[in-house]
Amino acid sequence: MTATPRPRRRLHAALTAALALALAGCSADKYPNTIFEPTTEFNREVLSIFHSLFFWSALVFVLVEAALIWVMWRYRRRDGQPEPRHVHGNTTLEIAWTLIPAVILVFIAVPTVRAIFRTQAKAVPGALQVQVIGHQWWWEFRYPQYGITTANELYLPIGRTVNFELRTNDVLHSFWIPRLGGKRDLISNRTNYLWFTPDSVSENAWNGTCNEFCGASHANMRFRAFTVTPAQFEQWTVHQKAPAVFGAVAAQPGGAPVAAGTVQAAERAKSSGAPQATVNPAAPSTPVTAASYIGYPSERLPAYTVPNAPIPDGLTFTAGLTGDATRGQQIYSRSACIGCHVISGNPMSVGIIGPNLTHFGSRLTLGAALYPNDEKHLALWIKNARAMKTGSIMPTLGRGEYDPILATTLKSGLSDQEIADIAAYLHALK
Amino acid sequence: MATTAAAPAHAYGHDAEHTGIWSWLATVDHKRIGMLYLFTSLFFFFVGGLEAEIIRMQLQGPNGKLVSAETYNQLFTMHGTTMIFLGIMPLSAAFFNFLIPLQIGARDVAFPRLNAFSYWVFLLGGIFMNASWLLNAAPDGGWFGYAPLTTRPYSPGMNIDFWLLGLQILGVSSLAAGFNFITTIINMRAPGMNLMRMPMFTWAAFVTQFLIVLAFPVITIALVFLMFDRFFGTNFYTIAAGADPLLWQHLFWIFGHPEVYILILPAFGLVSEVIPTHSKKPIFGYPVMVFSLILIAFLGFGVWAHHMFAVGMGPVADTVFGVTTMLIAIPTGVKIFNWIATMHGGALRFTTAMLFACGLVGFFTVGGLSGVMHASPPADLQQTDTYFIVAHFHYVLFGGSMMGIFAGIYHYFPKFTGRMLSERLGKVHFWLVAIGMNLAFFPMHMSGLLGMPRRIYRYDAGQGWEGFNYASSIGAYILGVGMLVFAWNFIRSLRSGKIAGNDPWGAPTLEWMIPSPPPEYNFARIPVVTSRYPLWDMKRPELTVEVPHTQRGDRAVQIDIAGKDAGTPHPGFKGQANQPAESGPHIETETYTLKQLGIVLPDPTIKPLITALGLTIMLTAPLFMHHAQLMEAAGKMPEAKTGMVMFWILALGGAGLMVGMLYHWLLTPLESEHH
Repeated sequence: MTATPRPRRRLHAALTAALALALAGCSADKYPNTIFEPTTEFNREVLSIFHSLFFWSALVFVLVEAALIWVMWRYRRRDGQPEPRHVHGNTTLEIAWTLIPAVILVFIAVPTVRAIFRTQAKAVPGALQVQVIGHQWWWEFRYPQYGITTANELYLPIGRTVNFELRTNDVLHSFWIPRLGGKRDLISNRTNYLWFTPDSVSENAWNGTCNEFCGASHANMRFRAFTVTPAQFEQWTVHQKAPAVFGAVAAQPGGAPVAAGTVQAAERAKSSGAPQATVNPAAPSTPVTAASYIGYPSERLPAYTVPNAPIPDGLTFTAGLTGDATRGQQIYSRSACIGCHVISGNPMSVGIIGPNLTHFGSRLTLGAALYPNDEKHLALWIKNARAMKTGSIMPTLGRGEYDPILATTLKSGLSDQEIADIAAYLHALK
Repeated sequence: MATTAAAPAHAYGHDAEHTGIWSWLATVDHKRIGMLYLFTSLFFFFVGGLEAEIIRMQLQGPNGKLVSAETYNQLFTMHGTTMIFLGIMPLSAAFFNFLIPLQIGARDVAFPRLNAFSYWVFLLGGIFMNASWLLNAAPDGGWFGYAPLTTRPYSPGMNIDFWLLGLQILGVSSLAAGFNFITTIINMRAPGMNLMRMPMFTWAAFVTQFLIVLAFPVITIALVFLMFDRFFGTNFYTIAAGADPLLWQHLFWIFGHPEVYILILPAFGLVSEVIPTHSKKPIFGYPVMVFSLILIAFLGFGVWAHHMFAVGMGPVADTVFGVTTMLIAIPTGVKIFNWIATMHGGALRFTTAMLFACGLVGFFTVGGLSGVMHASPPADLQQTDTYFIVAHFHYVLFGGSMMGIFAGIYHYFPKFTGRMLSERLGKVHFWLVAIGMNLAFFPMHMSGLLGMPRRIYRYDAGQGWEGFNYASSIGAYILGVGMLVFAWNFIRSLRSGKIAGNDPWGAPTLEWMIPSPPPEYNFARIPVVTSRYPLWDMKRPELTVEVPHTQRGDRAVQIDIAGKDAGTPHPGFKGQANQPAESGPHIETETYTLKQLGIVLPDPTIKPLITALGLTIMLTAPLFMHHAQLMEAAGKMPEAKTGMVMFWILALGGAGLMVGMLYHWLLTPLESEHH
């Protein structure tokens, strides 16, 4: 209705400028998980409230601290000073400094309440539905509209509202992608909702974390979110819906197992295009060939999304082993792996305790975004997941490895060559 | 036989039977119990501080490898639990014990033996909880112990047992003390001390006790439910049986938020004593300071769910709890403004106590303002469970509670011990702590807003958190050095500090009119109180003539407001041979024997200690039951059987010891015949 009074506006401008200066240092380049560069309408709303909170807090802070320091300096005891007069109070003053904070609180409370109701309204119809299921200590993501189940890596189309349906399989967790939205807890026996609309201009990768303490490996329960263009997202869903490429190949006698089976780690690390080219056409029963986008390209990953947790001391893997994916598939299919993991296309692999591995080869991280998904880390992970990640439910599998939960050393188990084969198989699952 | 007041060597005893270890184990003297609280809680405070230093070493750089995930989880759980239940709360209790009777002109608390019982339960509970370290089974579910993580399926070890049994033991201590102090303050004030003449610290203590007795039963219920789930197969929090985890969260925070005020209000009270004394001015707006305490406490019970904005309570609940939380800022702000107004126009002496008090005003403000920032639920969704919250409550608890408690320690150490703490070392302590805490806790605001979650034992490099964490760690080390300076000052001054005398600071309230340390009977003559500032009335009457003294109630004790005797001496003083009947404001410099004064004090007794021991033994028993259940699951039947036998021996033995000793205690008169 009316403009803000001038002095306040000036003060506001000055403080905002100071804030902008202070936060300029908090740019996303240096601080990839900052809340100060919102990329959704949700975060914009939150940030505007934060700015208002910060403005008033900074104002009160400056005034109180200035008054305190001035009083401390002005009324320090000096020699020969007479006894101070005993003042017992001043009703007018006290009413004033009761009412002024109350008025300030109104300025904060009104936009707060408005934002509460706006952000907790029902998501728009036609929103992308994503079911988030927390597990100790990894994330399951399901896209019921597309029939997709994946883990630890979330793909979101830019410009479309995504409505998360949050549940947990065990203890409490909390779902948070700082750059995209506020956090929301995953509560056992309850379903929570959270929605926002990613509006970054191009595809991007973001960090997500669990924020509710959930036990031993709480710190290791992370995930990645990729915002991609709607076209890329459609391609991705098409690819994800299809069964595992390598499984399909193996099921076909006389297909092209050689091409896929000899896919080497080095090649994969070099470029994501090459293995795609050799693998994709080898799955004739599915429209995978049409999927020109099967995942966020690893070479374009921002540095902050590449995990760098160190390999635990004492964990080694025989150097120079070359895995064979076909052999790996056979070993995998007769090992404990199938009891916990689904690989759609591999009829043996139907366990639902662990993450769905159908397109594991196109994931960029492993162990809930704890390690990069490369040959070495995967091999060590299979060999001794419990050493790689404290408390992991996935058992230690390597022969001669120490299982920290059972407190025993495995007498039998997988050899390094077998592990390398399984790793090659899993990496072939693009 | 009178001795001189200036000889603190006599400490709390006047003859041989009052010295030695036995005199401490059997003491029912509130001053000795206060000192026991002080020493014990300072010890635990250093233990909690050591845990914090290890945490900061681990987080100093990315992917720290100093401790394992399990150890880290134990460390942060025990750091929080220790600081809250074994550090700050009992530090406040040390002041409650020592000061409340002195400030209200009483000779002891209402229930001296119950008071001893409170202390022994606290000590044994603290030992019980920390004994878990020896078994490598320290609690690891966070100080908030959220179910279902703390239920058996997700925490099968004994860690959580130590936590939930230990907290129940400590709760008994807090509740017993709470009822004791409420009774004491209501019933044992000196004649003339109506409620609006009570010293500010006693007011803060009074309000705090109501918070304790109303909040602790709630967490006790939550813990009993959890105990039944873990040991006896009930399903209060069992997810598989359809339990709602929010039951725990609501119960915990209905306790947990008032607990914050239990931690901060005593510090407010101490600062409200220190600032007027060292400004040489009465507190500005005494009635408003009292009412704001009450209002904070009252509102404190209606804001608990602001700890739960992320759990999805719905917009209406979020709105209600957001707004009530904001409202708390008003009475809190009033206190800050009134402290500054108290200093305004004064003659400020920057003693160490005063520096710490000003530190509270300055640093608590930061914590208060960040508190308003997450009172707004949408903003809180970006802040909760990040380091921003860690920054907030460390400004409240270190910048507030601990600053106030240090102010209190420097201010009251002379009264406690008869000796002064070194001011020179005190100032070094203050500056190291002030710099250290700001360097440690301020960068946490930044790392939190830049996305760093709480309770993580490691973080990746390249997230933009390294610099802030490094700064926090350096700050924590500086803070640690400051605390070592304090420890040195404390220990040295106990032996060789300057002799304090009755009233080293020129303070206005009753505790300063008697010798330091006070004789065991406190007041040879119970004072008759005519104003809020009896000593100032006496020493500088020209300054207090304008004091708006209320006369309400004075007629009942037959005194005039000027402190003149209205004619009839107080009934308690009739017939004391060597005492003048007049007992208005006066200075006591001589000490007497109890016989000379004709006073009977409660007899020392070991019974409270043994009762506390029985309670602790009884609550240790479930650990053996758990052990037996673990052994049974592992197929080790003989061990399981031994475990159950131990359980029954300890449970029945402990209960028998407790009940029997309690019975014996209740049948023994408080004081024997005049000796």
